[in-house]
Amino acid sequence: MTREITYIEAIAEAISEEMERDEDVILFGEDVQEFGGNFGETAGLWETHGRDRVRNTPLSEIGIAGMALGAAVGGIRPVAELQFADFAATAGDEMFNQIPKQPYVSGGDLKAPLTIFAPSGAGVGAGAQHSQSVHSWIGNVPGWVVVTATTPYDAKGLFKSAIRDDNPVFFLPHKMLTEAKGEVPEEEYTLPLGEAAVEQEGDDVTVVATQLMFHRAREAAADLDVSVELVSPRTFAPLDTDTIAESVEKTGRLVVVDETVERYGTQGHIANEIVENNFFSLDAPPKTIGVKDVPIPVSPVLEQEVLPSADRIKAGIESVF
Amino acid sequence: MTVDEDTSKELLWEMLRIQEFEDEIKSRFQAGDLPGFVHLDRGHEGNHAGMGLAMGDDDWLAVGGARLVGQYVAKGVPLGEIMAELYGKSTGSNKGYGGQMHVSNVERKLYGHAATIGSGQNPAVGLALAEDVKGTDNVAVTTIGDGGTSRGSFHTALVFAAYWNLPVVFVIENNQWAISTPSSDLAPDHLSDYGIPHKMHNESIDGSDVEAVYESVSGAIERARNGDGPSVIECNVVRLGPHFEGDKESYRDPEELEVAKEEKDPVKNHRERLLESGVVTEQEIEDRLETIREEVEESVDFAKNSDDPKPEDAYKNVYRLPLYGQEE
Ligand SMILES: Cc1ncc(C[n+]2csc(CCOP(=O)(O)OP(=O)(O)O)c2C)c(N)n1
Repeated sequence: MTREITYIEAIAEAISEEMERDEDVILFGEDVQEFGGNFGETAGLWETHGRDRVRNTPLSEIGIAGMALGAAVGGIRPVAELQFADFAATAGDEMFNQIPKQPYVSGGDLKAPLTIFAPSGAGVGAGAQHSQSVHSWIGNVPGWVVVTATTPYDAKGLFKSAIRDDNPVFFLPHKMLTEAKGEVPEEEYTLPLGEAAVEQEGDDVTVVATQLMFHRAREAAADLDVSVELVSPRTFAPLDTDTIAESVEKTGRLVVVDETVERYGTQGHIANEIVENNFFSLDAPPKTIGVKDVPIPVSPVLEQEVLPSADRIKAGIESVF
Repeated sequence: MTVDEDTSKELLWEMLRIQEFEDEIKSRFQAGDLPGFVHLDRGHEGNHAGMGLAMGDDDWLAVGGARLVGQYVAKGVPLGEIMAELYGKSTGSNKGYGGQMHVSNVERKLYGHAATIGSGQNPAVGLALAEDVKGTDNVAVTTIGDGGTSRGSFHTALVFAAYWNLPVVFVIENNQWAISTPSSDLAPDHLSDYGIPHKMHNESIDGSDVEAVYESVSGAIERARNGDGPSVIECNVVRLGPHFEGDKESYRDPEELEVAKEEKDPVKNHRERLLESGVVTEQEIEDRLETIREEVEESVDFAKNSDDPKPEDAYKNVYRLPLYGQEE
């Protein structure tokens, strides 16, 4: 049985069900109680689970991220929100040096089963410090599991797995998708982390994309005469290159679209994996498409200019033939 | 509270243990046996022993500052495991992944150290939160140097601990220097004053007096256990050695240091006090030192005779695999 719910409802459901299932799951972040999060992602949770388990924090990402680390090591499963993905930088040391490394430097002794989630991506005119896609920053530090969600189905299934996973997981919903509706099973389900999904089968070209870019790529593909195979990596770190390689093996062509900036972005890494390991399955050089190398501007005209549009994706796909 | 004779003796033994162990580390480092750099504790032994004895086995220690080894010892990690870790051996507490700056031991509730100074205090608050959520009466003790208190992360940790009235004890080891930067140039009269705006219990004590440390930290732990919230304790000590082995200390006045060595050596002071009051005899101390030296020697043998990690082990422990939902 499925029903249609929004992406943001899917997230709230995922958190609520996991809190119900496991009393070690604690949610905290700025304004997660009555206010319910900037996008409604935590609405009503405190009423169901109480103020001890759904906790408002003072305004400090350092505190939230650092405390999540300690709480996880201490034996509970914190789910902590940063109000915007950009703010991972304000907890820079925690995000880059502490959380991903403590389990490793302990020789695997110490376990940090925490989830930090933070809305990412551009498109709402929120400007340069509220619109970034930071999965390339965080994916650059081994130790983080970096997960994104493209559909409500993903959002629920992947978030639940993120909470259950024993690694630190950085989970990135996309702001522009919050109201997107999609089919989500009535029954309990989870989706595996670390596995890419072939969302649409095709023969001529593999397009790898997530979040908003996935939806734009689908739109672009529908407009073309070629048969496009759409792959959503779902987890950026560690990356499931096997599924992407298999797809390219079949299609011979690769286009990677993502909302990280092109310079040192995820696109280049994914393309490189294929070039280096599966070069002879390629019939053409791969094409990478991302945010132009500028901060995200506010004016809708400027903002849309720097984001990959369906047209730019279309042209990118055409360019590999 | 006054310190009974047995505890007084325990404190002396623990300080001697730290000192002997560290003297050996110094020799091992000078001999080129140990990778990286080494920060030693001369002058801080009273702090570490006092704190260690005040804590229960089930209380967390999140190590900060830069004087580390004495804290690992005080939390009960066997010397062999520490030494092997300093050597980078597979038998070390962290199997050679951590080294001097990252000794941790979850079983003994030693969180370990954030080598970016001042980043360990928020995790300590998180550890306290976990205990609070689980309804235990365990506390988290976290140390930091005078230098580290300048980081925003330290102040954030005070905010969060006070916000939820969590069982955390912040111990500031003010040894007057952050490498070459003197703490006397910082504005507060006492670094424990940082607790004042948070309405947190705060006090500034002589950290070279091991009994004073034991008493203050015991009091703070007691309050935390009883739900009376966090405390900040400034322990004033003197760093009787270099910042790290090899530091030429060009920024220091050698005469002042000589005076400090006379007056502020916690080991020497406590030893003299116990001898004078007849709580221990020279003979007892000699016997104990002999036992300690054996233990230290064994730790070195253990480290030296242990295997290096296998090169391919470098790829282990980055992730716990399989990730959730993946097939094994
Ligand atoms: C965030 C950060 N900045 C700088 C350093 C380099 N560093 C290591 S120890 C130290 C001085 C620390 O002084 P203090 O906190 O007083 O501790 P102490 O060494 O005196 O025990 C500095 C600057 C560091 N490790 N981390």
